[in-house]
Amino acid sequence: MSLQFVVDGLLTGSMIGLGAIGVTLTYSILRFSNFAHGDFMAWGTYATLTVVGAIAAMFGKVAPIAPLSFGWPLIVALVVGAAFTALLALLLDKVLFSRLRKQEQAIIAVMGSFGASMALRSLLEFIFTSRPTYFSRAIQIAMPVGFGIRITPDQIALLILTAALVLAVHLLTTRTQTGRSMQAMSQNPALARIAGIDVASVVRVTWVIGAALACVAGVMIGVLVQIRPLMGFDMLLPMFAAAILGGIGSIPGAVLGGLIIGLAEAGAVQLIGAEWRAAVSFIILMAVLIVRPIGLFGVRER
Amino acid sequence: MNETVLVVSDLEAGYEPGVPIVRGASITVNKGEIVVVLGPNGAGKSSLIKAVAGLVPISRGKVLLDGQDITAAPAHIMIRLGLAFVPQTENVFPRMSVEDNLKVACGILERRLAPARIEEMYAAFPDLLRQRRTRAGNLSGGQRQMLAVARALIVHPKVLVLDEPSAGLSPKFVSMVFEMLSDIRKSGVTILLVEQNAKAALAIGDRAYVLVEGKERHEAAASTLWDDPVIAELYLGQRPLRKDSARHTETGGAA
Ligand SMILES: Nc1ncnc2c1ncn2[C@@H]1O[C@H](COP(=O)(O)OP(=O)(O)OP(=O)(O)O)[C@@H](O)[C@H]1O
Ligand SMILES: [Mg+2]
Repeated sequence: MSLQFVVDGLLTGSMIGLGAIGVTLTYSILRFSNFAHGDFMAWGTYATLTVVGAIAAMFGKVAPIAPLSFGWPLIVALVVGAAFTALLALLLDKVLFSRLRKQEQAIIAVMGSFGASMALRSLLEFIFTSRPTYFSRAIQIAMPVGFGIRITPDQIALLILTAALVLAVHLLTTRTQTGRSMQAMSQNPALARIAGIDVASVVRVTWVIGAALACVAGVMIGVLVQIRPLMGFDMLLPMFAAAILGGIGSIPGAVLGGLIIGLAEAGAVQLIGAEWRAAVSFIILMAVLIVRPIGLFGVRER
Repeated sequence: MNETVLVVSDLEAGYEPGVPIVRGASITVNKGEIVVVLGPNGAGKSSLIKAVAGLVPISRGKVLLDGQDITAAPAHIMIRLGLAFVPQTENVFPRMSVEDNLKVACGILERRLAPARIEEMYAAFPDLLRQRRTRAGNLSGGQRQMLAVARALIVHPKVLVLDEPSAGLSPKFVSMVFEMLSDIRKSGVTILLVEQNAKAALAIGDRAYVLVEGKERHEAAASTLWDDPVIAELYLGQRPLRKDSARHTETGGAA
């Protein structure tokens, strides 16, 4: 048996986990399930792709940073793309979500996000067509690292990037005043206001973090797999499963949930067969929720 | 003396348009006073102070703090203007440590002042220091009330507004809370207090209002109100006021 699925699983899990951070933050702070989150991923990826194209038009062909498949243009484009995605999220909140969130029933905002999701996706297909595209068509040589595992330099770089981002977001939310304000909002919005927290600014920070991470996750998919308008939507269920599995509101939980689901999917593909891919993550999700309904890192309300 | 800190005049407020719960209430709080608002269940006491704190829409009237018009300022601005509110329930962040609860409240202070203010609160409430790493949700009722009050005091408010701080506490904690409020007043903070526990509140209060159906119907010195027959009429309908055990049943055994 090959342990290759561990690498594949960790990579898929990283993408799911980064996306799930946004899902869990939106759910716990803005109090609705944002079904458009996957489409933030896709939009961020296409924005990044567009900037890469613009840079290529301006500077010509830029040599990749050996041994990676990409050079500085992708890194710059990712930063621009993440900023663009954050602005997109803020804009959508202003014109749509902020109004729907005021309604008593959360389902209204959820359905609104579903509509936004479809509109965003159709717009992407309209602009870029639904044909898959790639950041780079270069084939990378995977290095053997023992135990029958092979890994490419791109994969190593993206795993490190994921770890760094997760650590940064974790520190931001637990050690800074901004993070404490976010926690306060998720635990008791009325008291947060009484304590002097400007709700509007916490809402903005939440969108910016969630959308920027969605963009990074999308670009990871783009680098390692391919870019399609449906790429984010396809990630939606695994992301929600990861957020719920980890315990809604918990950032470490969302990442761990993502890794578990990523590993389970990759393991299932290798051990049972590819058709089990989607089913396995949900079997795990249901099993965990039966044993521990609040998720791995969830906290019971008192 | 008699320098007014908080003036509420002819305030009308409610949760839905056209359905006022507070109906033209007027109260005044002078500097250094403890003013108590009493009244039957559902009179609108909580609604009144929530409106003052910016949490219930105001349709008419004015709220002045130190002469400044703060009517309907958003809740998160109130604390910056010097009005600190402690709600009756859910007044701490349950899944944060005691220390993080205090740190959250320091968000409106200059960053470098925060550590010293937190230490001052620990000095005033040694229980909180012992429990600084405890989740607020795991504190005892009395300690939770202390934390809620410390959270409000940490920013040096001009006036501290509390909604039934003794509700749901065991008798031991009730007397502790009232002692705490008395000490806070001695340190120079002005207090506006809604209470069901009339006897204990009047014992530490200077003046009191009786609120009935959203309007203050009686005002008196706290020391005389307890024996005033008018209160029995307004407050408890026609029932005579039992001096030693008044409100016993309503407060779940709190004396
Ligand atoms: N959030 C709310 N939305 C709508 N109506 C409310 C709300 N809160 C209170 N009310 C109504 O306002 C009226 C006054 O309630 P309020 O809580 O202000 O009374 P109270 O004097 O504080 O009573 P108690 O002594 O029981 O605390 C009640 O009829 C109540 O139904
Ligand atoms: Mg009340």
